[in-house]
Amino acid sequence: MASPSPVPTGLPAPSTRGAKLDRLLRDLGSELRRGGSDPRAARADLATGIPALDGLLGGGLARGELSELHGPLSSGRTSLALALLARATEIGEVVAVVDAADAFHPASARSAGVQLERVLWARPPGVGEAVRASERLLQARGFAAVLLDATGRAAEWEALPAAIWQRLTRAAAAGDAALIVVSLRRVTGSHAGLALQLQPRQARFTGTPALFEGIEVEAAIDRQRRGRPGRPASLSLRTAREG
Amino acid sequence: MRIACARVAELPLAAELRAHPELRGRPVAISDGAGARADLLCVSREAARAGVRAGMVAAHARSLCAGLALRVASPALEQTARNALLDAAFSCAPRAALAPRSGGAFAGEAAVFVDAAGTSALFRSEAGFATALAARTGALGLPADVAIASSRSVAQIAVRQLACASGADADGRVLALPPERERAFLAALPIDLLDPGDALADALTRFGVHTVRDLLALPRRGLATRLGADALALWRIARGESIETPLPEARDRDLAEAIDLEAPESRLEPLLFVLQGLLSRLIERLDARHLGCGDLDLSLDLADGGRHARRIGVAAPCGELRVLIRLARHALEARPLAAPAVGVRIATRATPLRRDQLDLFRPAGPAPAVLGETLAALHSLCGETRVGAPVAVDTHHPDDAALAPFAPPAARETREREPPFTGALALRALRPPVPAQVRQQGQQPAWIRSAIANGRVVRCAGPWRTTGGWWSPEERFAFDQFDVQSEDGVVVRLRFDHVRREWQIDAIYD
Repeated sequence: MASPSPVPTGLPAPSTRGAKLDRLLRDLGSELRRGGSDPRAARADLATGIPALDGLLGGGLARGELSELHGPLSSGRTSLALALLARATEIGEVVAVVDAADAFHPASARSAGVQLERVLWARPPGVGEAVRASERLLQARGFAAVLLDATGRAAEWEALPAAIWQRLTRAAAAGDAALIVVSLRRVTGSHAGLALQLQPRQARFTGTPALFEGIEVEAAIDRQRRGRPGRPASLSLRTAREG
Repeated sequence: MRIACARVAELPLAAELRAHPELRGRPVAISDGAGARADLLCVSREAARAGVRAGMVAAHARSLCAGLALRVASPALEQTARNALLDAAFSCAPRAALAPRSGGAFAGEAAVFVDAAGTSALFRSEAGFATALAARTGALGLPADVAIASSRSVAQIAVRQLACASGADADGRVLALPPERERAFLAALPIDLLDPGDALADALTRFGVHTVRDLLALPRRGLATRLGADALALWRIARGESIETPLPEARDRDLAEAIDLEAPESRLEPLLFVLQGLLSRLIERLDARHLGCGDLDLSLDLADGGRHARRIGVAAPCGELRVLIRLARHALEARPLAAPAVGVRIATRATPLRRDQLDLFRPAGPAPAVLGETLAALHSLCGETRVGAPVAVDTHHPDDAALAPFAPPAARETREREPPFTGALALRALRPPVPAQVRQQGQQPAWIRSAIANGRVVRCAGPWRTTGGWWSPEERFAFDQFDVQSEDGVVVRLRFDHVRREWQIDAIYD
């Protein structure tokens, strides 16, 4: 019986290898696929880059699924959504923002690390147009994430029939894109693969005269199709200097 | 040199059937004017079977065929049909040109010459090329016969002979005439196929010249002396020696489709129905040349003699009818017509579809063609100025943001940037800023009332003064900005506008 072959001596040292592997994983993150029979399980996640949140989510938001980030104003929903877009555009992905609330702030997004030239910003005039625009973007196949801002006109979003969300979920699965819905209250019902509730805990003002430093929020999973929801995580969001 | 000639025998009829496909299979006649005494220019096969002939007056034709669809010849339709024939030619070969209009018995024909040299690698044989060309013209609604010969004139004569020999009951016939057979082929043909013109045809008949062989038997010098330069040119054509300039390459990318309406129309839906037909034919032509539709120029001739013209922006090269119709609808709804329309014309500049170089290790992103159609669809859904790549404008004004055309760079161009700042707190813009009522203690806001944040101000930072645009009364701004947390937990960016003398919330920290 043949003995196990020795480890080739040409490999880099473990410490160097770890750094290179980390860089490779950062560069190719969304392109790496895990083998297996279940294609849903093989889908790569979109990480936020915030360790506590990625740990809570089990790696990030799943591509091919609808994920909803909901919570009151100043609860960090937009910050987390932009963190996702930043990570996605960093590795060369193209993303879209369907800004039904007309609230996207380019300077703030750039400060959060989003590469604006990789973002398609659509500002639909109404809820119906926003839904159609989202569906169209998901059908285009190639957008890693479609962010649908459903914060304004809460009553109209809540009145949308479930079939609409079902259609968008199917389009996201077919297009292998993460559909991220940002809302005040849950509007996607049982169609969300993940529903993350965010609550503001504390706003940090420091020094004299006072300077606004950021906010502390708590993220808790309302609903998760894959696996069991973990314990709520505390997140610290800091103001970034624009420009 | 090998030249193919694609010929549509009855252009007025073919143009009408192309614009109104529902008339196919029905008896149709094209007249030179309105009214019962108008002369018929050409008739469809179904009408011919009922006894209707070209040259009859309309009233006579109606008495022979009760179900006859009578249409007045439309120069606009004929011109667009000619251009579509040229598009079909350019879809097969890089050099082509329309044949000059003929007279006499061939006044109704339209023909296009195509350079068939060097196409064997694509189409295997000349017959294969001719068949493909006939199929392309047929796909654009213009059934044509095709012949290939060594020169334009011989190819045109051969394709005319093809129609005469086979009768009018078929289309899409092809003939590839080998060079060594051309002289024998031409010799037996009647002289009329060379389109000699009425005066020269009469003179040749008087001389007893009926076939090409008879013509070639005459001495060249004597023919020129007695019948002039036209006869000499005809003699050269009969020998296959006519002087011809090279065919040009495709340069013109302006495509147009037009139609004259049978009755003035001002309602939106009927006009959109007409536009749908025009756009679908435009897209077919663009497809044939593997190009996309750029901005649309819509022009409507009005019954009062005026013209309604406007440009419809298309965000990216597009070939999707539904998207273009939606854009046209928005354009017509935004600016209704001042008077009923009697003619519609739509033009575009054909634009190459987007291309992209794929990378083995980089995300592919949306396919360029699909992205183009998606952008055009979003453009029609959201409005002309509401889709694109966001741009953080380099000014101090807190509300400034702009959109640039969306054209994501290749992934490798952005690899060397620093990793993003994780956990950054983002702002949500309020457009327009929300007015607020503020009570102050000293210089600081102490109490706020607005649609966003209400109650006692718990914490506050600021003010930070931002000014700019002082050189222009319209652009001038001066704000005192505060970061404020209100009693209900919302953290907002509050500002006092010194120009308008009011408090506003321009963004929410979220």
